[in-house]
Amino acid sequence: MSAVVLKDIYKRFGAIQVVHGINLEVAAHEFVVLVGPSGCGKSTTLRMIAGLEEISEGTLTIDDRMMNRIAPKDRDCAMVFQNYALYPHLNVAENIAFGLRIRRVKKDVIASSIMEVAEILGLTEFLDRRPADLSGGQRQRVAMGRAIVRHPKVFLFDEPLSNLDAKLRAQMRAEIRRLHNRLGVTSIYVTHDQVEAMTLADRIVVMNDGRIEQIGTPMDLFMNPVSTFVAGFIGSPPMNQFKGTLANDAEGASVTIGGARISLPDTVPSDPGREVIIGIRPEYVSLASGEATSPVAIKLDLVEPLGSEALLHATIGEDPFIIKAETFGDVSHLSGLTEVHVPAAMVKVFDAENGHVLNREPTR
Amino acid sequence: MTDLPASSAGSTTGVGETATHAAAKPMRERLVWLIDHFKREWQIYVMLAPMIIWFLLFLYKPMYGLQIAFKDYSIFWGIVESPWVGWEHFETLFNNSQFIRAVKNTVIISALSLIFGFPVPIILALMFNEILHALYRRTCQTIVYLPHFISTVIIAGIVITAFSPSAGIVNTFIGWIGIEPVYFLTKPEWFRPIFIGSGIWQEAGFSSIIFLAAIAGVNPSLYESAVVDGASRWQMMWKITIPSIMPTIIIMLIIRIGNLMEVGFELIILLYQPATYQTADVINTFIYRQGLQSGQYDLAAAAGLFNAVVAFVLVMTANSISKRVSRTSLW
Repeated sequence: MSAVVLKDIYKRFGAIQVVHGINLEVAAHEFVVLVGPSGCGKSTTLRMIAGLEEISEGTLTIDDRMMNRIAPKDRDCAMVFQNYALYPHLNVAENIAFGLRIRRVKKDVIASSIMEVAEILGLTEFLDRRPADLSGGQRQRVAMGRAIVRHPKVFLFDEPLSNLDAKLRAQMRAEIRRLHNRLGVTSIYVTHDQVEAMTLADRIVVMNDGRIEQIGTPMDLFMNPVSTFVAGFIGSPPMNQFKGTLANDAEGASVTIGGARISLPDTVPSDPGREVIIGIRPEYVSLASGEATSPVAIKLDLVEPLGSEALLHATIGEDPFIIKAETFGDVSHLSGLTEVHVPAAMVKVFDAENGHVLNREPTR
Repeated sequence: MTDLPASSAGSTTGVGETATHAAAKPMRERLVWLIDHFKREWQIYVMLAPMIIWFLLFLYKPMYGLQIAFKDYSIFWGIVESPWVGWEHFETLFNNSQFIRAVKNTVIISALSLIFGFPVPIILALMFNEILHALYRRTCQTIVYLPHFISTVIIAGIVITAFSPSAGIVNTFIGWIGIEPVYFLTKPEWFRPIFIGSGIWQEAGFSSIIFLAAIAGVNPSLYESAVVDGASRWQMMWKITIPSIMPTIIIMLIIRIGNLMEVGFELIILLYQPATYQTADVINTFIYRQGLQSGQYDLAAAAGLFNAVVAFVLVMTANSISKRVSRTSLW
């Protein structure tokens, strides 16, 4: 059963249209992440689900009930905001209890709910503190506590980790996912951080310019991006992209980049002379030759050691080319690197005109 | 980075000199820092200068003249040559029934103004905040701000005309319900309500700007979060808006308490008459009559000093209570 269904949703602010006909079905207990660059309409979509923005056109249903004209309080959603939206004059316990007090829940029920939530989130020793006396991570947990204490049908997260430092963000990310596994509440999560999207989501919705580019599991998006936009957005570092012309010879389809002939997978339609963009994930470039790989001459500019791995910043002709290589901490042997190998099976080919993928693999 | 002079940056000293040098070094460093600071930020001090000069000339220099409160002051002898008389003027004041009456009236009028006048701008700001139609809101705001820009003399004229027994609008209204005309401004019991009411009418709108600005500063996410939690507009006003602007309310209250002894005497002078002195005469009008009209400058200075000391104690007390109770204070 779908918990949340968006059908042909449009959003206009005056003459400006920011969401262009979105269709999305979120299953019950699913964790869906809306990801995309700033201004792509992901937060607006979330706010329309919450009822904080009116839907200009289309229908929204939650548990098969049409929600377009239903007040936010009656949608049974709880939202966690980017800046936490904690009431500065209330302490942690009062902040958590706010929604219950508004709904005139009995005092003893409120007290037990606060304790239950505080224990889940490790907030029991901070219940008397005000938000100003808490760290960023603790504030974030209070914001989550305020959401979960109501036992809503749907959790809505609007970039809840973007105010935290990298270490805390990674920690909170894991906590959110653990919490979802424990509570199983349908969750819709907005972020511009593709790492958050990849690690948290059951399914990711990639948005661009008010439209959905692709919906899929994190690995599906990583392995089979439908467009150059998704290929560039998902993955860190992003997929390398080179313009070229399709050629077909006895050895099969290929594209020549910076003088190097790169073999393409058999799934690429035969269309010699077609302008294409080929995409090569930095992770799939090999330093050693192997079966069905194309040797490519590179000019190495910079090595960025990351511990067991390293990022190699190189160029092919004039085009930048990033390679992610396993080094196990030793980068000394990389300084003289002049050639790498690209496995044909891992090359994605996109139409140069519209950016659509030409060799989409079946979804795994 | 601040460049240090060679002497302080890299000098070496003998054991005996160490203690004195250690004490002198921070002093020298601070001086160097201060000079550097003035060189770097001189524009800020130039901008600050007019305000400092104004304070010195009009608020600090007159303090020198306060000593006449303890002297038998004569304009022919001057401040310095006039003989000291100690607390004599204060004793005279506290034995003067008119002064005691003025203190009582000042406290009563100020307290009533505080009780009835202080909440009005807050209520107005909260009401403006609830008006969603921008043009309607701006129109309402302009209407209530306008009286602030009218001169006190005009305000007094309006009040006198409105409460006139022959053609005043108030008497016309009460005439319609069969009540005989009342000459309000000659009735001591009516002076305080008229004075406080006209003060609220004149200043409440303009004073609401501060609270509106405070409301504008409240994080909009708090309201959105409350909406999702199911709060009504009424609940949001009580549980978010008012607590969020409470620091501003407290600061304004402290300032207001500091001015408790400063009743706007221009309007009183324009409205009162001997028939209403009983309820209208305040410390400032008393000072005006004694100092300027009767030429008793020393007695008037003693009354003014008493007024200032009480105001100082009030503001210190209010600030200290606020700091303890609400963690908000002026300093």
